[in-house]
Amino acid sequence: MKKTGLKWSNLYLILVFAILYIPIFYLIYYSFNEGGTMNSFTGFTWDHYKEVFSDTRLLVIVLDTLLVALLSSLIATFIGTMGALGIYYTKKRPMRNALLSVNNVLMVSPDVIIGASFLVFFTFLGIGLGFGSVLMSHVAFSIPIVVLMVLPKLKEMNDSMISAAHDLGANNWQVLSRVILPTILPGILAGYFMAFTYSLDDFAVTFFVTGNGFSTLSVEIYSRARQGVSLSINALSALMFVFALTLVIGYYFIMQHNINKKKKQRKLAEIEAVKMR
Amino acid sequence: MPNQSIITFKDVVKEYDDQPILNHVDFEIEKGKFYTLLGPSGCGKTTILRLIAGFTDATSGEIYLDGKKVNDIPANKRKVNTVFQDYALFPHMNVFDNVAFGLSIKKMAQQKIVEKVKEVLKMVQLSGYENREISEMSGGQRQRVAIARALANEPEVLLLDEPLSALDLKLRTEMQYELRALQRRLGITFIFVTHDQEEALAMSDEIFVINKGHIVQSGTPVDIYDEPINRFVADFIGESNIVKGNMMDDYRVKFVGKEFECVDAGMRENEAVEIVLRPEDLEITAVEKGKLKVKVDTQLFRGVHYEIVCSDTDQNEWVIHSTKKAKIGAEVGLYFNPEDIHVMRFNETEEEFDARLEAYEEE
Repeated sequence: MKKTGLKWSNLYLILVFAILYIPIFYLIYYSFNEGGTMNSFTGFTWDHYKEVFSDTRLLVIVLDTLLVALLSSLIATFIGTMGALGIYYTKKRPMRNALLSVNNVLMVSPDVIIGASFLVFFTFLGIGLGFGSVLMSHVAFSIPIVVLMVLPKLKEMNDSMISAAHDLGANNWQVLSRVILPTILPGILAGYFMAFTYSLDDFAVTFFVTGNGFSTLSVEIYSRARQGVSLSINALSALMFVFALTLVIGYYFIMQHNINKKKKQRKLAEIEAVKMR
Repeated sequence: MPNQSIITFKDVVKEYDDQPILNHVDFEIEKGKFYTLLGPSGCGKTTILRLIAGFTDATSGEIYLDGKKVNDIPANKRKVNTVFQDYALFPHMNVFDNVAFGLSIKKMAQQKIVEKVKEVLKMVQLSGYENREISEMSGGQRQRVAIARALANEPEVLLLDEPLSALDLKLRTEMQYELRALQRRLGITFIFVTHDQEEALAMSDEIFVINKGHIVQSGTPVDIYDEPINRFVADFIGESNIVKGNMMDDYRVKFVGKEFECVDAGMRENEAVEIVLRPEDLEITAVEKGKLKVKVDTQLFRGVHYEIVCSDTDQNEWVIHSTKKAKIGAEVGLYFNPEDIHVMRFNETEEEFDARLEAYEEE
């Protein structure tokens, strides 16, 4: 009985993952199709990939997208970390909760509304649409993410550690740079990666605030897909999928490395404890 | 101000959200002694420590460190260092970097730092542990790292905030001896906060007993144990039998309906007082030899001694510590010497208490 139950649950799991991944693999499969459509597979070819790499406009857009993601997440990480520190050190509880709520509202409000309001805001201020406007809006929607990733690490932090640092002669700046920041570094890194991925695959906000020929990958793919199906888009999607997969695997190995290190430390401590007895 | 005192509190008041934590506290702490702030949790003892360290500001009053007023000097500019209850070590640094933290802040030369860290680690018997991560150290070892880190800065005063409370009994006793020896060797002032009366009695030169934001009594462990000023101190430090009585005359006191010879004096005639008799001073004898007649109610074996609870005909409870067994239900006599009786007046302040003691001791 128990075994069959287990099998059913496995089957369910396989089904769910199949539904999630089949469209992606279908897309990738046809990126190698010799024929121009996704109706039938006529033969294997690298042509669509060659097309992607010879399309300089597309390559520029890929670079721009990466640049926006890198820059916006970097700036957002800086501002967000300072913001988290500010919220953490706000002494009055109602004030702190209000700040946190304002932060969270930005997290849950729909991208379309954020994008539209940024468009109104930029045109009102007379700021030209393009790289600058996209960067600013990406920074803006990334900050709350960073705050949410950093704040729990601050709450985990032992406050008497701060007192101890002061006690040993450190001034406020030294306490921040030598004790607080190293302690919350995992949260900051997590915030940076989250902001990076959010920026990389954002469509709605970018769609509103881009202009003057500046475009990011998601907006470009959207507009090309509307004009008609070209399998070079499949090739591009496949490349992005592989890129994302590499990031995830890389992240997994870093985590695994840390866990192993911790396990090793615990084992050493246990050996030490046994020796002490 | 005498030269010897390194810390002085003058009429210090501390309030949190209009709740008074410390009520007009005055005291002086002398150089090179081991002080203990002893009191129940929430009595304000840790607040005194935090005021000395500079983690909080006094609401009013003056605090002097080495003759200088320090009310407006931040914690990082004061020549005191703290060992925290939870050790507060930096988990992202190894043992060496933890101990060297204060020195590297001071921009000491690397060679000197290495020497100093080696020296203090040797003091706390952790030589060779420099490259360990904090997560690899046991509780007792972390405790030692915390002490080494505080000592590396060569403070004039070391503040210890219940540093032994997280250790098991055996390790705690060991650390008591070590801390005491360390203080003697270094010759600096230690201020130790604890709620454990045994710890306080075992380690201190001077004890401040604190309750509800007041220093109730200060003195050597022997003074405080033998001459508690009031019921709170008598009860908090050691176990006590406390009964109501009346002072008939100098050196004559009446309680449980009988008059006894005692060694206290300087009170009004027939003044209502409280009598303390320590359980270990009471001796069980035959009924006819005893000064009091009691019945044995219960008996507990405590290892070192039996704890025997008796009651007299007035329903007063008498706790006796004896190495000899008693028989439950038996009528026995209790014997004690005149100097075992300690008389406490109601609402006597420490100054009045000391003055009275001096007055009749001079006679």
